[in-house]
Amino acid sequence: MAWKKIGIVGLGTMGQAIAEMLAKKQYTVFVQDATPELMEQAIKAIDGQLEKQVSRWALTGAEKKTILTHIQCVSSLDDFAQCDMVIETITEDAQAKHALFARLGHVCPEHVVLATNTSTLSVTECARVTMHAQRVIGTHFIFPVTTVEMVEIIRGLQTDQTTTDAVRAFVEQGLEMKAIPVYESPGFVTTRLICTLINEALHVYTEGVAHPRDIDDAMRIGYGFRHGPLEMADRCGLDAVLAALEGMFREYGDLKYRPAVLLRKMVRAHQLGVKTGQGFFRYDDDGDRIR
Amino acid sequence: MNVLVLNAGSSSVKCQLYAMEGDVRVLARCRVERIGSDTALFVVETPQEERTRVLEVLDHTSAVRHVLHALAGVLQDGARIDAVGHRVVHGGELFSESVRITDAVIVQIKKLYDLAPLHNPAHVSGIRAIEANLPDVPQVAVFDTAFHHTLPEHAYRYAIPSVLYYRHKVRKYGFHGISHMYVSRRIAALLGRAEERVRIVSCHLGNGASVAAIAGGRSIDTSMGMTPLEGLMMGTRSGDIDAAIVPFVMAKEELSASEVQSMLNKHSGLLAVSGVSGDMREIVARRDSGDAAAVLAFEMFVYRLRKYIGAYAVAMDGVDAIVFTAGIGEHAHAVRAAVCARMTVLGVQLDEHANTQTTPLERCISTPQSRVAVWVVPTNEERVIADETYALVREGC
Repeated sequence: MAWKKIGIVGLGTMGQAIAEMLAKKQYTVFVQDATPELMEQAIKAIDGQLEKQVSRWALTGAEKKTILTHIQCVSSLDDFAQCDMVIETITEDAQAKHALFARLGHVCPEHVVLATNTSTLSVTECARVTMHAQRVIGTHFIFPVTTVEMVEIIRGLQTDQTTTDAVRAFVEQGLEMKAIPVYESPGFVTTRLICTLINEALHVYTEGVAHPRDIDDAMRIGYGFRHGPLEMADRCGLDAVLAALEGMFREYGDLKYRPAVLLRKMVRAHQLGVKTGQGFFRYDDDGDRIR
Repeated sequence: MNVLVLNAGSSSVKCQLYAMEGDVRVLARCRVERIGSDTALFVVETPQEERTRVLEVLDHTSAVRHVLHALAGVLQDGARIDAVGHRVVHGGELFSESVRITDAVIVQIKKLYDLAPLHNPAHVSGIRAIEANLPDVPQVAVFDTAFHHTLPEHAYRYAIPSVLYYRHKVRKYGFHGISHMYVSRRIAALLGRAEERVRIVSCHLGNGASVAAIAGGRSIDTSMGMTPLEGLMMGTRSGDIDAAIVPFVMAKEELSASEVQSMLNKHSGLLAVSGVSGDMREIVARRDSGDAAAVLAFEMFVYRLRKYIGAYAVAMDGVDAIVFTAGIGEHAHAVRAAVCARMTVLGVQLDEHANTQTTPLERCISTPQSRVAVWVVPTNEERVIADETYALVREGC
């Protein structure tokens, strides 16, 4: 059965990007955030992103209008009952996520798949508080969602085969993206490996081995990364990288996940990367690096 | 026999219902736009009335169901749809003529998705939708590329490593074949000569535009290539450019492959040069009021078309008729006049009065002294699809 309506709860960077990608693929996307003001801001941000793509010739004005008509703001969680799948993209706060899953489990009929876009938290814990835990799954999209055509599909302890198969089919056939099936584990594949690389790049920098620009150039040119590890940290958000590393350090207890001291200092200084305009490098309002 | 002609796009379905016996006539036209939404536009036109509705149409199957329901009101006295003909954009090297649709044919059309990623999947959706709604009705695929199957190898191959042709079928296929075939047959009839004895340059000038050299009823060259991007400058498509521009622009502007493809297909052509519109009517209006960018867009369009006509006249060792068809070809007399001006090398003499007449009919617009006949022939692709479908289904009875 082809899915048509997808819900997104939480319209931060990832929520906006996933909603935009789904709308481009002609899904009807129901979106919600904590307040009407936040939703309005998010829709404006999506509009801005699309306008930027028009200016880069990736879209026409008419295509932009059509995409926006596929995104519908809803005021109540009850509206998600008519979706085929709801993806949660709120902040990485376990308590907030659990509260949301409890409510979604109550309002959405059993056939509605409930997914979390968490990069480190436990899918099984989200499922535990949800009615019909077998339909809870993780779908970890990578930013920028419209160009990174890969999704990790995280199977929690109670996720059943029907849900896993349906989500995999949705990702591969509906979204035309590569689905990477993983079992629940802190950081899954992508977050675990990239955060380890970023943390090691921070150690290389603090040991005075090389300048941030040269560290990034070495990995970008030498190993074909689109961005070097430090710019990647800036783009993920240094606070998000710190939270992920702390989570993995807590879960695995392995010193290799202990966050570098400089990372903590920069987060305390609110130098969070692209979102604040200053991280290891400087960025303009569009998120483009200032060279 | 009643034949439904169906043209399924990615989010639209357009169709015409023909009564084929006796005087062939159109019984009704339907179109469904914005499929996949709850605000789809559904339009039905019959000789008696035109109705428009907005409703939820989530997929092609339900779009076709709405169409068939509306057509049931047109068919009377137990009449039914006896066959369905589909326009299929890309037939690749596999299909040189129209075919009855079977499961094997659908598999082959699917194999061509890479070559027509926007069109062929939509056509298969249309075929499946008919299967679901009219399981016993025979279906026929009529290919836009089939008419150009007669291109000789020296015309369809590109001068790039041969392995790309053998591995990936990278070659010229050509498009608008249904239209070029229709006008070339009409021209032979209008000139009162056998198709085998006529050399035609057919100019299909719509928002997408192509030229075909047709000698003895066979296409021997055409301006569109492996995709509909090559050839003439179009409404929003660049047409021919130096292939090295693509990687150069990608590097300088940090564009991805899909962004540069979008740029060349949707943001180029008349729109890019004029800076205002891809619509030739607006370009001509602005040119007439002295807009320099519109003048340039118009001149580029005309110049590139003239080059193709000249090249194809040489390729055929002469030309008996130049024919204009489709939106711009049929209605833009300013374009026709500019293209045919100073074409004395071919002996073309335009009848300026005939050229500016506004009529929807087929008409000769050259003087009796012109060595090359110049014609305007309104295209009718749906009629070709209906005829091909009728012939194949009758043959199979």
